Amino acid sequence: MKARIAILIFLFIAAFVLILDAGKIERRQFQVDTTTPIKFIIPGGWPKPPTNIFSTNPLTEEGFQLGRKLFYDGRLSKDGNFACASCHQQFAAFATYDHDLSHGFHDQFTTRNAPPLFNLAWKRFYHWDGGINHIEVQALSPMTASNEMAENVDSVLGKLKTDTSYVRMFKSAFGTSLINSQRMLKALAQFVGTLISSNSKYDKVKRGEATFNSAEEHGYELYKMNCSSCHKEPLFTDNSYRNNGLALNSFLKDYGRMRITGDPSDSLKFIVPSLRNVSVTFPYMHDGRLYSLYKVIDHYTSGIQPSPTLDSLLRKPIILSTAEKNDLVYFLHTLKDTSFLNDKRFSQP
Amino acid sequence: MINFKINRTLFILICFSISFISFNDVKNDLLPASSTVKITFINTLGHSNIVLNDSMYTNPFGENYSISKLRYYVSNVKLNSSLTSFKEENSYHLIDESEEASQSFNFNIPAGNYNSLQFLLGVDSLHNVSGAQTDDLDPTKDMFWTWNTGYVMAKMEGNSPSSKLVNNKYEYHIGGYAGPYSVIKTIQLGLDKSAEFTAGKTVTIIIGADINAWWKGANDIKITDHANITSPGKLALAISDNYAKMFSIEKIISE
Repeated sequence: MKARIAILIFLFIAAFVLILDAGKIERRQFQVDTTTPIKFIIPGGWPKPPTNIFSTNPLTEEGFQLGRKLFYDGRLSKDGNFACASCHQQFAAFATYDHDLSHGFHDQFTTRNAPPLFNLAWKRFYHWDGGINHIEVQALSPMTASNEMAENVDSVLGKLKTDTSYVRMFKSAFGTSLINSQRMLKALAQFVGTLISSNSKYDKVKRGEATFNSAEEHGYELYKMNCSSCHKEPLFTDNSYRNNGLALNSFLKDYGRMRITGDPSDSLKFIVPSLRNVSVTFPYMHDGRLYSLYKVIDHYTSGIQPSPTLDSLLRKPIILSTAEKNDLVYFLHTLKDTSFLNDKRFSQP
Repeated sequence: MINFKINRTLFILICFSISFISFNDVKNDLLPASSTVKITFINTLGHSNIVLNDSMYTNPFGENYSISKLRYYVSNVKLNSSLTSFKEENSYHLIDESEEASQSFNFNIPAGNYNSLQFLLGVDSLHNVSGAQTDDLDPTKDMFWTWNTGYVMAKMEGNSPSSKLVNNKYEYHIGGYAGPYSVIKTIQLGLDKSAEFTAGKTVTIIIGADINAWWKGANDIKITDHANITSPGKLALAISDNYAKMFSIEKIISE
């Protein structure tokens, strides 16, 4: 009888110990899993990104929302006036609308046309010259450039630390309220890295949800014949560096890729920009020198400047009639992704 | 009654053993006995320690100069024995002349005999392409290029009457992690055979870095000709070929 009681008590204690242990494990998991994962979805028919830019930066709703807040926050700049979003406006596909060069700190001009931001996960290198090798470190460049946001990173972090909403958001995104450069940069990367534009009329046609009119259809054929080897579907860029026959700008003296590699064979080469949303990202080219799509097409048909590094594909002129130019522009307009330009998830929080 | 006593004893024993299993993290003490290695860098010019800002020095070309900043990365630190090698974990150290604490670090190694110390002067290429880092690799350490991604592996700045640049400044920001212009250098220094890494003891390895090596060696770097080397390329490579030879073991202390 006593023995039975002893065994019962033993079993009771054993069960209690087990429950305690299980509780420990649960608490541990609870601490790790307070974030809401976001699944990175590759649009149908698109290639896999060349690298996984989120391999050491797990995408979460909390990280994304923190990145979004940072992107729209002027405090990332020295005088508070220049958020990332001041040069990367959503209605311009996150380029600067109607500006050849953007404005930065103390009424200074930037030296290049602000590129639009979308589908960045499919890029290996960033900036017109490909000088940035990882999306996480890109933001350091505009943040610290004296003619852009003109701020230093420690000072930005100091400002964020005094804001309790940031303290809370860093904690919910990363588990503790530590605010450091790595976390700030990873959160920004989560926001800009998930700006995906894949719902233009062109995409709907590809999915069988819409049809091109005859001008667009003809423009698409002309695009495939004349433009598609560099502006390759479905991303509308092959992400290569090419000299597309623009004369050297005598003020900016920008030799593009050569600045990064020091290699004269890279002189005047710039990364091929995507044509997606091209109708809202004017003006065009690395210094915004061409103000309309017609000017761009005219450059390719009659404006190419020869030079030793001119791309081999442009050594033979592209010939298009006026009607063909019109149709090509009609097609380029089908690459505008209205739902992306208006997506509330990407707008100022 | 006896029966009960046995049961009670058994019961207590079982409870004890359960509580022991549950509440004690069983530590695995099967690792070999370890010794501590402490590595200290002392930046010198000839035989004297560097004084930042206020001292003037003369390089092998007779050019006078002062030093206001002197920093370099030491990474992937390893001790090699004839059979094996032991690498420090998360081994990234920014040696900064203005911060004494940065000039020493220590870690545990299995006791034994090691015949050389090896490290990279610079940050390995992987960590130049892996996004935002922390600690000594934090971009706020002012050793990171924001416009052409990569770490400045070594930095020296100061003034010299031989410099034609503004305020007679000279600046060497030496970096580049890829291709023909990689300035990452593997440094290997032989250890005295008498240096034994005995269990429970600390072995301090004092490494001297003679800054004179920056100017002359594989290549002549004159301030008059090159007061500003701040991007990857031929000149950065030339100066890195020089400073790769600046290290020597000054002393090994076992205590």
